[in-house]
Amino acid sequence: MQRQGPAPVTGSGVPPQSPATDREAEEAGTADNRPEEREAERREAPTGEAPTGEAAAGESVGPEAGKSASAIPEAGKPASAIPEFRKPSPAISEAGKPAPTTAPAEAPAPAGPEAGTPAPVGSASRPVRRGRLTAALRSPDALNLVPLLVAAALWLWALPGIDFRDIEEFGLLDRFPLTFYAALTVLTCGFVLTLRRAGTAPLWPATYCAAMLVALKAPPAILYDTVRYAWASKHDAIISRLLHEGTVHPGRELSGGMGAYDQWPGFFSLDAALVRAFGVDAAASFINWAPVALGLLTVPVLILVYRTFSDDWRLVWTGVWIFQLANWVGQDYLSPQGFSYLLYLTVFAVVVRHFVLPGSAGTLRDRGTLDPAAAAVPPPTTTRQRAVAVLILLPVVATINASHQLTPVMLCATLFALCLTRRYRNIGLLVTSGAVMLVWNLTMGRELFLDTLGTLREKAGDLLGNSRPGFAGDPTGPGPELVGSANVLMVLALGGLAVAAVLLRRKLVRSALPLVLAAAAPLPMFAVNDYGGEMIFRVYLFGLPGSAFFAAAALVPAAGAVSRGAVIARRATAVALPVTLVAMLAGFLPSYYGKEGMHYAPPGETALTRRAFDRAPEGALILAATGAFPDAYYRYDHYERWFFTEQEVDENLRMLKDPAGYLAGGIPADRPAYVILTRTQGEAVIGEGYLPEGGFDSLRGALKRSPLFQVVEENTYGVVLRYRPTTGG
Amino acid sequence: MAHPRLTPRVQRRAALAASGWVALAATAFPGGSPLRWIPVLAFVALAPGLALLLPQPLGLRPGARLEALALAAPVSLSVATLVATTLFLTKAFSLTFFLVVLALFVSVASTLPGVPLPAATRGAVERDGARSPRFEMPLFRRRGTGGGG
Repeated sequence: MQRQGPAPVTGSGVPPQSPATDREAEEAGTADNRPEEREAERREAPTGEAPTGEAAAGESVGPEAGKSASAIPEAGKPASAIPEFRKPSPAISEAGKPAPTTAPAEAPAPAGPEAGTPAPVGSASRPVRRGRLTAALRSPDALNLVPLLVAAALWLWALPGIDFRDIEEFGLLDRFPLTFYAALTVLTCGFVLTLRRAGTAPLWPATYCAAMLVALKAPPAILYDTVRYAWASKHDAIISRLLHEGTVHPGRELSGGMGAYDQWPGFFSLDAALVRAFGVDAAASFINWAPVALGLLTVPVLILVYRTFSDDWRLVWTGVWIFQLANWVGQDYLSPQGFSYLLYLTVFAVVVRHFVLPGSAGTLRDRGTLDPAAAAVPPPTTTRQRAVAVLILLPVVATINASHQLTPVMLCATLFALCLTRRYRNIGLLVTSGAVMLVWNLTMGRELFLDTLGTLREKAGDLLGNSRPGFAGDPTGPGPELVGSANVLMVLALGGLAVAAVLLRRKLVRSALPLVLAAAAPLPMFAVNDYGGEMIFRVYLFGLPGSAFFAAAALVPAAGAVSRGAVIARRATAVALPVTLVAMLAGFLPSYYGKEGMHYAPPGETALTRRAFDRAPEGALILAATGAFPDAYYRYDHYERWFFTEQEVDENLRMLKDPAGYLAGGIPADRPAYVILTRTQGEAVIGEGYLPEGGFDSLRGALKRSPLFQVVEENTYGVVLRYRPTTGG
Repeated sequence: MAHPRLTPRVQRRAALAASGWVALAATAFPGGSPLRWIPVLAFVALAPGLALLLPQPLGLRPGARLEALALAAPVSLSVATLVATTLFLTKAFSLTFFLVVLALFVSVASTLPGVPLPAATRGAVERDGARSPRFEMPLFRRRGTGGGG
């Protein structure tokens, strides 16, 4: 009979692998000093079965192993749901440690033959020949496969029905067919089901995580015929320019702060090389796939991080799942920050796994004091090993510094926070990272670095100002307001769950303290700078790995505890987990797709924009309501741009009284100037709260009527006007 | 490893070493063709990291496989970024140059022993006596032993 027990499985294991090999490798190293790792490996097999087995097995480490056999409450249960990769008994005995005593108790003989194949499961007591189909359908793998296939079918069915060409005020939310939502819900439920065997069949939750990532973020990549998101389009323009120029000019000043991209060209250089290597015209060919690609690369690194702090695969996968849903801040497009974030997590993963100082673990290797779901501290490393690890990290740190301004600061803040613990007091790595950052800032990034230092005096200490999102008013209209509410609710839900776990699972907090510190490390940034109104989102993003982990910890209680409270908590979370995941999904969708009207521009609109730029003479001033429209930075080194509503709302209200006069007052004499107003801009000024509802239309009407501006081209996608200073005066 | 037999490990290294040159050859296909971009992307995004992390003298212990795979892409992309950035900064960028540098890097790296990250090699040592004696006692938890829970 397949396991239908209450208990989601935990286990520490790494994906299917042979413990025997592991142990051999261990023997080659210094086996005697790694009880916690052996323990972790051992836990993986038995804990597939029993809810409390995981914790119990966890205790069985090392010298005390003998005690643990009796601590396995359900050891007698048939080990039917089983570890494809379990070959426990002989392997464990190879270790030659006391620990093996646990193996026979935990891994009853029947499990043996199943090893290596996902055969239909049936206990010895069950009539085996009952019909292959029935058995296959009831196998755990079938239970996991069916929701996946159903979701895939629903999603594929929904895809052509996503009406992205006719987006109104709710973005894609009311353009997704019901089958799309159904597919996501089925995926969520399927994922929760896979958690039951997360320790023994980790490929299933992995598959669901990848499927969810694709289901959530691939539709624009598959459907859109233009670059999604204005900022992605801007990066496309930067890559095109780099390819055209063949080099960068870090000292050259470009309007709109575009010179900064020449000072941090790392990520764009990589993209430019890929454009050439793929033989395509521009990054636009693959740019919409970036969220999927970055997500697929980030998840394994995130798993590494989470596995360092938890042996409970349910917790790990739930953390990953929550991370995906809570990562709505839209920094996953083809951007230096998205790429640097992956590298930041990589450095963090290597640090927490390989930079443990000898003698610092203390009770954190002591099963008796650890949370049942916690992993023991990784083995300590010698100075030489840490030095080698620094060398390995050096290219990664250098790439972060070559690619993005803010991430190196966040990295140093995180490393500094880790230095506050005895476990990770690696001054050498902190100094190395700081030195690389300083060298880059004083050479390639000198211009912007000095500028920023200059503004620090004004902005430092302005906590409220620096934590304000954007610099406009509140979003207007039901769509943007819904998005705003969803954002707030998502933050509150994530924060609430994380704080609850931090308060309730103190033992887990102790062992996973680095995650707490990493989540808190970016907070002081509010005291320094507003990063163009983006700081709040960046702080959220860098705090997300820790927050998601602890939010998951609130939803996935320890499997081992047997107190009445623990049992009630487990029952409650059996309901709360799927409900919360569905609720977070419901929060993600408005947050990510609720403003899609400003992210998708039809080809006709981008063509209009490009024609407008091409029509303008070199050095002309291009005016637009906001820069948040595709191709706003087309051939950006040839023009100057003025995004005239990107200012305080009061000033915009003043502008709306006489738009033509206001704009004419800002255009330098004898400067050819063009105004481009597109539908996407209309969405953006409402979505960002720059203009009140109806403000964009009145602005457009006023400019068209004004004798100061002449309509050059107008179609359903927008209007282009030329400034005529001589006629109006 | 003294005998140059084609063990799976040697085959893997040989495949890695050759991957860059295969990617370079793939650029002969027309632009945008999957026959071109798939091998090139796979090489740029994975090969340098795998070449650095995989060739462990004793093979990777299973727990380190996930680590090698997870780190391969970020490390590879970092190496590729640094190469591309250097070439652009020195005005020396060309597709061939870029891929040749990476292919050479991978070919050389795959013949060398892999970077000994402790998790891969199990080389870390807890110093004798480093653990505080006061923590020696309770290596098991108190709860649940009697009732099997």
